[in-house]
Amino acid sequence: MKSTIALLALATLLFTSCSSEPTLQKYFVNKAEDKNFMAIDISPSFIKTEKLQLTQEQQTALKSLKNVNVIAFKATDKNVGAYEKELGDVKKILKNNSYEELIKFNRGAMGASINTKGEGQNIDELILFANDKANGFGVVRVTGENMTPNNVMTIVGLLQKANLDMEQLKPLKAMIERK
Amino acid sequence: MKKLFVAFVFMLIPTMFYAQTAFTKFEDKTDISSVIVNKKMFQLMGQMKMDPKDKDAQQYLNLVKKLDNLKVFTTSSAKYASEMKTTVDGYLKTNPLDELMRINKNGSNVKIYIKQGATPTQLKELLMFIDGNKTETVIVSLTGSFDMNDISVLTDKMNLPGGPELKKAAAKK
Repeated sequence: MKSTIALLALATLLFTSCSSEPTLQKYFVNKAEDKNFMAIDISPSFIKTEKLQLTQEQQTALKSLKNVNVIAFKATDKNVGAYEKELGDVKKILKNNSYEELIKFNRGAMGASINTKGEGQNIDELILFANDKANGFGVVRVTGENMTPNNVMTIVGLLQKANLDMEQLKPLKAMIERK
Repeated sequence: MKKLFVAFVFMLIPTMFYAQTAFTKFEDKTDISSVIVNKKMFQLMGQMKMDPKDKDAQQYLNLVKKLDNLKVFTTSSAKYASEMKTTVDGYLKTNPLDELMRINKNGSNVKIYIKQGATPTQLKELLMFIDGNKTETVIVSLTGSFDMNDISVLTDKMNLPGGPELKKAAAKK
């Protein structure tokens, strides 16, 4: 009898604490094929820096950046149900995968949040998430190594100065035009 | 029996990580506008470099480092407005705060509550509730370890609802 109880307890324990959570990375991979979605991978080479004289700070900042993945859900009249479901899924992943929520806005059917993973001021993963019932939602996943807030700011600054490789953004453009 | 108890305790551990605060339920509601800023954001913002000559920015940066959490909820739905009122009342019962001031203006009722720290101007928590009656009802909750005088900087920079009332409260201190 005692062993049955122990076994039962163990089983419950496994289910509550160790259920295999879907990660955001897996979600990105799974949805890349979905017709409601649009996925883009952007490498740091997106920022064309050959013509710029980079300072030490800018170089370290660029080095800390590894990859940018974008996934976007395009809302139409027909996929309202899918929108609600996918939105819920993303929110769940962001909540359960030890992401730290930095900031969150919510207004009517629109919302946005910034989440990070990493230790202290060293960010390994930065997630930008924005949703709007009329247009859909988008998740931007920036991975890197020891990105600091200053590095992020430096990269944003570089984006404004450098030439961007628009070739990498073509799918996104196509998606907007499809509307 | 003991084993069962231990197992039960372990089962409860995961739920502890999702500790909910009193106002969490107002997040993610279509009829409620919300802004939530967490400690990590304040920490990261505090790391950013700003122009040392810009006095305002420096003051702002200093304040940001002292904050833990900022939550603002705004609604014009009557249903959520009354729910907010009950929640605030309930929160004050379990978490007694000192009433700092009460303002009645144009039919809306503003109440500001604080929890003092080591010195009288040092605050650990600030809660503002604006009972809008027919207009907007607002909850502003701010935690950390900050100075009442810092608040005016924050209201200026962040465009918070109830800014003028908070300024008055700061002047009174």
